Amino acid sequence: MRTDRPSQQRKRHKTSPATMLLYGIVTLTVVLCVYPFLNVVACSLSSKGAVLGGHVTFYPIGFQLDSYTEILKKTSIWLAMRVSLIVTLSGTALGLALTIGAAYALSKEKLKGRKIINGFILFTMYFGGGIIPTFMVVKALGMYDSYAALVVPSSMNVFNFIVMRTFFRELPRELEEAAIVDGASDAKILFRIVLPLSLPIIATIGLFYAVSYWNDYFSALIYIQSADRYSLQLRLRQLLYAGEINQASMAAEGMSGQVMAESLKMATIVVATLPIIVVYPWLQKYFVKGVMLGSVKG
Amino acid sequence: MKKKKRGALYYLKRDMFLYLLLLPVILYYFVFKYLPMGGIVMAFQDFNIFKGIFHSEFVGLDVFRKILKSQQFWNSVRNTLILNLSTLAVSFPLTIILALVLNEIRAVRFKKISQSLLYLPHFISWVVVAGIAQNLFNMTNGTVNGIIKSLGLDAVPFLSENGWWIFTYILCNVWKEIGWGTIIYLAALTGVDESLYEAAYLDGATKFQRIIYVTVPMIKSVAVTMLILDVSKMMSIGLDAPLLLGNTKVMAISEVISTYVYRLGIEKACYDQATAIGLFQSVVNIVILFMVDRIAKMIGEEGIL
Repeated sequence: MRTDRPSQQRKRHKTSPATMLLYGIVTLTVVLCVYPFLNVVACSLSSKGAVLGGHVTFYPIGFQLDSYTEILKKTSIWLAMRVSLIVTLSGTALGLALTIGAAYALSKEKLKGRKIINGFILFTMYFGGGIIPTFMVVKALGMYDSYAALVVPSSMNVFNFIVMRTFFRELPRELEEAAIVDGASDAKILFRIVLPLSLPIIATIGLFYAVSYWNDYFSALIYIQSADRYSLQLRLRQLLYAGEINQASMAAEGMSGQVMAESLKMATIVVATLPIIVVYPWLQKYFVKGVMLGSVKG
Repeated sequence: MKKKKRGALYYLKRDMFLYLLLLPVILYYFVFKYLPMGGIVMAFQDFNIFKGIFHSEFVGLDVFRKILKSQQFWNSVRNTLILNLSTLAVSFPLTIILALVLNEIRAVRFKKISQSLLYLPHFISWVVVAGIAQNLFNMTNGTVNGIIKSLGLDAVPFLSENGWWIFTYILCNVWKEIGWGTIIYLAALTGVDESLYEAAYLDGATKFQRIIYVTVPMIKSVAVTMLILDVSKMMSIGLDAPLLLGNTKVMAISEVISTYVYRLGIEKACYDQATAIGLFQSVVNIVILFMVDRIAKMIGEEGIL
């Protein structure tokens, strides 16, 4: 450990210009990273004129809360949030169930056909039919314009599967062997031993699925037609580029500010992002470990 | 001891629970990943929605000939490569530098809080990122242009001029992913033997020398692996970023393969052409993947296949 160094030397190092520079670089990077968020929050609380004039930097000018009270009245946002909440919850549950099942079964070396099934899953990382054939399959299954189209086609992610499988493989064998001696079945081992030991990785993968569902724009864009089934991101896009339902051909820059006040737009962004910001601190201690595991080759 | 030969039925019965767990997974991959691969035949058909895949006329490579002659297609390929390569050229070294700098930070609390804040943008949707970018970089009322104008300079067309748009695209990508990208390097560095630093320190190496001669070699193989992965994805590009950041003024540069396929397939219902482009992209991806893997192994690094 470097902390074992004589204290005199440590003291000298703490104040060295090089150390100062390093702390300076990190601070600057963090500020650049956070600033856009501050700007959005400040704009959402500022008067229309101040935002349109481009005067708001990181504190509100002409403080107002009207944009937030106005959002409360915008039913289309809450409806879209409800859609995204349903999709996120069911998608995360489905994604976790499939991923845990596959990872547990394929972490067992005794399983016959393990390699073939593994290959069957991993191959899809490198080759696929593409957007259009997938779209046609989803349509043929009668999922078009339904919640199912937002949940099912993207319910399992190969990367998440690899991370989970690596975690299961590295669990201590002794516990499992002891359970086998006691005559426990595979099901019992999964529910009584493996799952309780895997809560950190389940939280990590759960977060990854939840965020990808919450942030999903593409599925809604291609599969959803009815306005009452718009997901949050699709609705948000529509509101930000107001007056346009067809997302692909976007308004020319500058044309977009007319229908909805800028501060209201920024408030909408804040509200749409808030759930992630709220959940984030609770789960972030887990996910670093999760990503590290993912870096271990599958 | 002689091992008894068992039939498939024995194993199926013994591991029934495990196979039951796998059943929905196999079904999922079959329906949503392998069935669409069958749809690739459309790329070789004069596809007609009313006739369907089974009755549309096969035309050999006609669809491909049509695409390869299309200027729009080559533009989208060129734009995909430009955006991917320029983003990689900026984000790859910056991510490593940030990781090296973070690794030198000893104040635990400061480091933890910095990391939490740096990872955050990774979890923000592209719709929101594009909305924020619009708010910051707008010509008429963007905050950044407000500052530029207050300095007496002309407003910069960050989102409406091709060259500047590439800059903004890279900036947004770097902002979103740089913090997250450091995790893998920091993970590789947690295993570094501290005695190496001690030795370098006692030999009189400066902080900078210690970073260059001790830390950098430790992350070299991770860096090469990341580079291989990134390069092998050169032809694929997410649809969200270019579609959401783009606008009609910068179409000439923001139209990439994924957005072109989307417009052609979903909006214009040219299923055969869109599928053919998708196939072209998949095949090129696989070729690049094998090539970079081979090159990596040639220079003595671990490949990814």
